[in-house]
Amino acid sequence: MNIVVCVKQVPDSTEVKINPETGTLIRAGVPSIINPYDHFALQAALELKKKHDFKVTLVSMGPPQAKSVVQMGMALGADEGILLSDMAFAGSDTWATSYALSKAIRKIGKVDMIFAGMQAIDGDTAQTGPGVAQQLGMPQITFCERVEVDGRRIIAHKQIDGGHEVLEARPPVLLTMIMHKDYTPRYPSFLAISASLKKPFHVWSAADIGAEAQFLGLKGSPTQVDKIYPPPQREKAAMFSGSGVEGMQRILQIMKAEHFLED
Amino acid sequence: MASMDAISRNLMLDSLKEYAKRRIPYDLIRELDEKNEFPADILKEMYDRDTLGVHLLMIPEEYGGVSGGTYDIYRICEALARIDLGIATGVFATFLGTDPLNVGGTGEQKEKWLKRIASENLLVAYAATEPDAGSDLVNLRTRAEHVVKNGKIAGYRITGNKQWISNGGVADMHTVLAMAPGGPCWFIVEKNMEGFSANKHEDKHGIRLSNTAGLSLDNVYVPAENLIGLEEGKGLLQAQAVFGYTRVMVAAFGLGAGEEAMEQAIRYSQQRIQGGGPLSDKQGYTHKLIVPNYVRLEGARSYIEYTALRLDSGEHGLQTEGAIAKYGASEWGNKAADDAIQAFGGYGYTKDFPVEKIKRDIKITCIYEGTSEVLEMTIYRGRWQEHLKSRGRYYLDMADRLDELHAKEPRCGAHAAALGLRALGAVLEECRAQKLTRHQHVTFKLGRLICAAETAAIFSTAAGAQKYAETVRFDREGWQAMARVFAREAALNTAMEGLALVLGAADSGNGLADAVNLEAIQTEQKGMVADMDLVAAKLKQTFKAK
Repeated sequence: MNIVVCVKQVPDSTEVKINPETGTLIRAGVPSIINPYDHFALQAALELKKKHDFKVTLVSMGPPQAKSVVQMGMALGADEGILLSDMAFAGSDTWATSYALSKAIRKIGKVDMIFAGMQAIDGDTAQTGPGVAQQLGMPQITFCERVEVDGRRIIAHKQIDGGHEVLEARPPVLLTMIMHKDYTPRYPSFLAISASLKKPFHVWSAADIGAEAQFLGLKGSPTQVDKIYPPPQREKAAMFSGSGVEGMQRILQIMKAEHFLED
Repeated sequence: MASMDAISRNLMLDSLKEYAKRRIPYDLIRELDEKNEFPADILKEMYDRDTLGVHLLMIPEEYGGVSGGTYDIYRICEALARIDLGIATGVFATFLGTDPLNVGGTGEQKEKWLKRIASENLLVAYAATEPDAGSDLVNLRTRAEHVVKNGKIAGYRITGNKQWISNGGVADMHTVLAMAPGGPCWFIVEKNMEGFSANKHEDKHGIRLSNTAGLSLDNVYVPAENLIGLEEGKGLLQAQAVFGYTRVMVAAFGLGAGEEAMEQAIRYSQQRIQGGGPLSDKQGYTHKLIVPNYVRLEGARSYIEYTALRLDSGEHGLQTEGAIAKYGASEWGNKAADDAIQAFGGYGYTKDFPVEKIKRDIKITCIYEGTSEVLEMTIYRGRWQEHLKSRGRYYLDMADRLDELHAKEPRCGAHAAALGLRALGAVLEECRAQKLTRHQHVTFKLGRLICAAETAAIFSTAAGAQKYAETVRFDREGWQAMARVFAREAALNTAMEGLALVLGAADSGNGLADAVNLEAIQTEQKGMVADMDLVAAKLKQTFKAK
């Protein structure tokens, strides 16, 4: 089978700050990482590759430096990498992005499975994966924990409210992955990183994938971001354990210390 | 070797950091530090080619390595130092031990030994130092005698003692410096060779996760093919040939450990409320304990990068530059770590907080791979020659280039750096005219002044460049403010200390105050406090409380 994994480079959200005056992200000094959910999706695909000798191709979209996540995936074992990079893609929302990714996947040719992270930690929309499936007219299974393949049967273990669901599909299918211990992200060795430079890697422009300009970038994006602002900070809750009496005594102590109660 | 592409380098850094996050938590480091224990399993895993293979950086691709350049090695060394300087030293010892082979080995020797180091994850040690021969290797006592068979030199019998050898007790192979009849040379000695033994692991002040031991060589037989380069008498040249970049590695240690200590203090200072507000908002705290240290370390970083890039572009030697890089980074790193303890107050003095260990660890960077005093001498010697050769123009020409930069980029501190260089030129010239370099004190002190003034020049040049290096974590406004703070401090110190030095040693120092242009340097201090405010704000923004 041929597997495509969609990966995205995102700013490490634990390090991102928002300028309170302008409402824009402060990117200086913030490291870029592979979207954590995509890392699990990648590991899931690589596990299947190891077991069944499938071919794994990575697709990403972003500025030239986003090559980094593609190269990391190749160092971990993917066979080929493609980066969609073109000024025409800049400012694309989830609709325009899934359009571009679907055009690239069509160009790759016969694809049996597409893996994507459930969502990206920068936008948290969870729309791009399903969007790609829709654009390709392909069935999709979202929020998967684990995926197995038996012949032409694709068995997906899916997380649902209060339980799990096991679904079966025939290729082609798109799966979005959540985090699961079976696919704990690995990091490549120095030798594997060096060797990954010799694997096929392509940068495709909008013209290369036959994407129409009107569906790309800001003008091809129905979503417009009005404003970004940090959520109001909540006071931290303190947690105490022990008996009820101990708890009451502790609370009284704190109330006195904070001068809510007189001694 | 030229450096690799930035993406590959940064992926390697990510893998190293992730490994450390998972496998080397601070609690474990603290326990090993307490027990004075070398983590053999961790080092072996870090060398494992399927896990990390960090030692492969030093080995060319054709022998199974990844062909790291000096810039790559500097980045990895800095990251290692941020994890633990003892573990970093264990890796560094393999780098150092591999060096004589890289520099002087024959094709066949490289084929055999580099391939083995790469594929068998060998820990290597570099055995040069002796009880009576530290920086002064001329006193080398270890002897290598010929063993002749059928009229040909079949091998050597090596006898002597080595001291302070990193990885000494744990290495699989050692490159040992010994005096052969034809002069000093390097030999490959394997740990199981008869007559070879390691002494006890030293109980050190810091870097306690690094194994340090003396070695005894009692008539150890080594086949002739283990003489690196197959030619006697090349040992010291082979050792010196690599000082440029081995010192860049130790410089990276001072930088990494020093900045790590500072960054922990900066994060802490935003949570610690004193007198109604966080310490991070108080000038009495930031402008004394944080800003000057961080700025000096960023200066050291720019000098390290400048030297690393020159080495990667094919220049050889660069002993003076390597010495400046290491001297600045280690001395300023040591001071930063000391101030980080102060910045944590009583907490910093306990072992619960990593700054206490960093302070003990970082001191070694002022000692190994050339003590600070040896480096002061090296720097002075190198630049004194330049001063004489150029008839006093060396620093004046450099200052002219900085002034040209200032005309284009007025906010990168280039003017202050130029003032400092002109003051330095004047001090050197006065020392020449009055023959003051007969005082060793004067020469060493000049080494110190040269380091700061040149670092200011390189920092300002980097901060004035159109594009910044991948390591700069601040915006242009912030990094230029740092360069200005550094250059002002360096210029003032060069002028004041240079003046005091000459007046202290000379019969007369009349006119030098004018020549160093103290007045202009003092005028240039305008805006210093506002710049320090800006730097403090940028540091807070970049290293926010966790």
